[in-house]
Amino acid sequence: MTTMALNLWQQMRMQTAIWISLAAVLFAVLVGLALVASMGVPLSDAIVAFADGAWGSPYAIAASINRALALGLVGIGFVLANRANLTNVGGEGQIALGGIAATAMSLYGGASHLPGPLPFIVPMIAAALAGGVWGGIAGVLKAKVGTNEVISTLLMSFIAIWLVYWCVQSEVLLRQPMNNTATLPESLEIPDVTKLPLLTGDPGMPLHWGLPIALVLAVIVAIVLDKTVFGLRLRAVGLNPTAARRAGIAIVPSILLVLFLAGALGGLAGSFMLQGEQYSLKARFSSGYGFDGLVVGLLARGSVPGVIASALLFGFLRSGGINMELAAGVPSAIVMVIQGIIILTLAGAAFWMERKKSGK
Amino acid sequence: MQLAEHPLEAGAAAVMEPPPLLSLRGMGKRFGSLQALDGVSVEIASGEIHCLLGENGAGKSTLCNLVFGVYQPDAGVMQFGGREYRPSGPADALTQGIAMVHQHFSLVPDLSVVDNLLLGQARGILKRGECAQRVRTLSENYGLALDPFARIRDLSVGERQRVEIVKCLMREPRLLVLDEPTAVLLPIEIEGLLQVCQRVAAQGCGVVLVTHKLAEIKKIAHRVTVLRGGRVVATSNDPANEIDLLVRAMIQRDLEGLDASASAMFGAPATDAPEQDREIGHRIEDEALQVNGLTVRDAEGVARLDNFTLIVNRGEIVGIAGVEGNGQSELAAVLAGMLPATDGRFFVAGKNMTGKSPQEVTAAGVGVVPEDRHAVACITGMSLAENLFLNRLDRFKRWGLLDRKALRESARALMQEFDVRAAGPDLSFGSLSGGNQQKAVLGRELTTEGLVLLLAAQPTRGLDVGAVEAVYGQIRKACERGVGVLLISSELDELISVADRIVVLYRGRIMGHCVAHASERERIGAMMAGHVE
Repeated sequence: MTTMALNLWQQMRMQTAIWISLAAVLFAVLVGLALVASMGVPLSDAIVAFADGAWGSPYAIAASINRALALGLVGIGFVLANRANLTNVGGEGQIALGGIAATAMSLYGGASHLPGPLPFIVPMIAAALAGGVWGGIAGVLKAKVGTNEVISTLLMSFIAIWLVYWCVQSEVLLRQPMNNTATLPESLEIPDVTKLPLLTGDPGMPLHWGLPIALVLAVIVAIVLDKTVFGLRLRAVGLNPTAARRAGIAIVPSILLVLFLAGALGGLAGSFMLQGEQYSLKARFSSGYGFDGLVVGLLARGSVPGVIASALLFGFLRSGGINMELAAGVPSAIVMVIQGIIILTLAGAAFWMERKKSGK
Repeated sequence: MQLAEHPLEAGAAAVMEPPPLLSLRGMGKRFGSLQALDGVSVEIASGEIHCLLGENGAGKSTLCNLVFGVYQPDAGVMQFGGREYRPSGPADALTQGIAMVHQHFSLVPDLSVVDNLLLGQARGILKRGECAQRVRTLSENYGLALDPFARIRDLSVGERQRVEIVKCLMREPRLLVLDEPTAVLLPIEIEGLLQVCQRVAAQGCGVVLVTHKLAEIKKIAHRVTVLRGGRVVATSNDPANEIDLLVRAMIQRDLEGLDASASAMFGAPATDAPEQDREIGHRIEDEALQVNGLTVRDAEGVARLDNFTLIVNRGEIVGIAGVEGNGQSELAAVLAGMLPATDGRFFVAGKNMTGKSPQEVTAAGVGVVPEDRHAVACITGMSLAENLFLNRLDRFKRWGLLDRKALRESARALMQEFDVRAAGPDLSFGSLSGGNQQKAVLGRELTTEGLVLLLAAQPTRGLDVGAVEAVYGQIRKACERGVGVLLISSELDELISVADRIVVLYRGRIMGHCVAHASERERIGAMMAGHVE
């Protein structure tokens, strides 16, 4: 009876949370529109351009969803690590490492000569491992020396970003052969067999295999977090490491594993971006997806469905924003403003709900 | 004294001649499904020491928090100094002349006493000298010895509490509320605190003291209000002579029926009966724990625990006496596998467990009831069921998933066995009263598989009579089935009545061994203070 009442209460809170999130998004969009209007751009032009870019064509929809994939994977990794009270802000670096590994494996690792679906699977795995190791290093630092993982993952991101630069600048590494003076500092395009196959086979709707893979991973992570002993232990470690240690929960392996997994999801995001969209490694390969993914994770407040929702929101916002700049001359930075307002509003709402809950 | 059938009548009957300083009428407060307070009426006069008595979860703290404006009441009217009183928050309560000393202190450890006092008040330039002078004056007036420029970090718990009290007194309150102030203090510090309360009251300030130690009530209370289940169940204008009745009202049982050791701890005379029981009861000769020259040095190289050697047999309760901070925490931490020893070894049932992890220590059959429940024993943000099986969650794995149903059912069984009172196993652990939390921790540790040794550090701290009795009962029961018990406590009376023999620790070293008998009280006391005979 009491349990039922409790569940009902939680459901109600869940619903309120969803409504608050929707209200925050609406508010932020209204502010964004007001800003557009204040710049003297006709609102209708901006809205049409935004809608065109975000969901105006099958291609636009697919592009938005592909953006959401990368954001969502990083966000899921964030939520996973956050369950153990670890804050992984290194998504950007983990994406970069994933991109490097996927490129190397596709071009020079011999992946393209493998049979069946292996040519595109092997680079994906390599990317996940590379991202995982990058996250795992932060885990080792945390477990052995107590380095704050916020600082270590962030700084390792910068190292990774410059590693990408180095890779595409040096012919010994991943730069394409310099045949003439016009060769850009980027890698060769990866062989077709290593590209992620399209779901529909229609290039006008470039949804690729990353989508189902990411969805399966999301379901697995959600189950692991909420329905397994391991998930419960992670929560114990996050809430009270001392008590968890006394209760015989191995803290160090938990930290290592969870940061490795978060990094692996980031690395996988990098592989999706490379093998599913960009096809060659460029200097500005990741361009902020890691940091946006972190925000997606933050907004989800620990829930995997929340990650999916906010990743989709941000994916569509980004696509729409880019087109708004191209077609209507509104700086796409306006999308950043909207993102910022959403975050602030939600954080404020969360704070307010906590206060109400504690009965003050 | 009167037992209240109807709370409002009780309030009306207790009206004194001069208008009361603070009057509460029909106060109600609900948290979720829990009615924490229900129609509580209390009156407090100037210059009066009014004790609030009640078991854990009776609503004492909630009532104090309503008065101090931490919570807003759902029902009821408050009057302070003859006017309606409706504090919007603690700051408002302070301005209106009500100050409160909480169970948990809010001091910045790295700042000095004076800086901490100035934190909440100063604008502009800090007048440290002036403040220090006021601290000294207050110290003298109320007997609160304090060095105004000492760092909080270097102060004992008792001294920190004095800082909190000075912080309150600097506001010159008309009412001072102290929420279980003696729970954290040493016997000698308690004495001092009670004197401070008396002096504060003598200055015309009203004092509300939350406690469940009857000895304190006997000593200083002018009036007592007993709460149970969020209601006023009794009031007394002559508490010193009505202790028995108050206890009966508090727990609805007679004091004579209580566990003898529980009543000893709460100031009632203990009979010698259990001593004889003990002689017959155990003595199954077999080592549960052997400690060989255990030494712990801190970062500065000071020996916190110095060459500690001890044997605990199965079916025996060995008490570790000593003023806190004399190596008990280090001893408990090493034996629990939480702290590496600098030197020495220890064996559990003949197996060397030195330097093993907490997990291995538990696997060897050691149950641990840690000193700091919230930091080490439980996770307040998780449910009761999850906490009850925190160290053996694997038991509920089914096809890789967590079998919540089985977990819930096992939790219910354990709750029943150890009398953990909560609405259900899914309740958040943090919402349980201290007594029920401790019973849950004890239940978990006593059901450790292959239990050989129970390590209990200050297991009854902050608990009320009923819970203390339950904890002792469970410890004795374990002992009877052949578990060795190492009981660390700073309550000498508790050790004398529960343990078979007592080892006294002073500055990390064993000062001496005694049988646990009231006649050894003086000797143990002297050894605790560092005197060797």
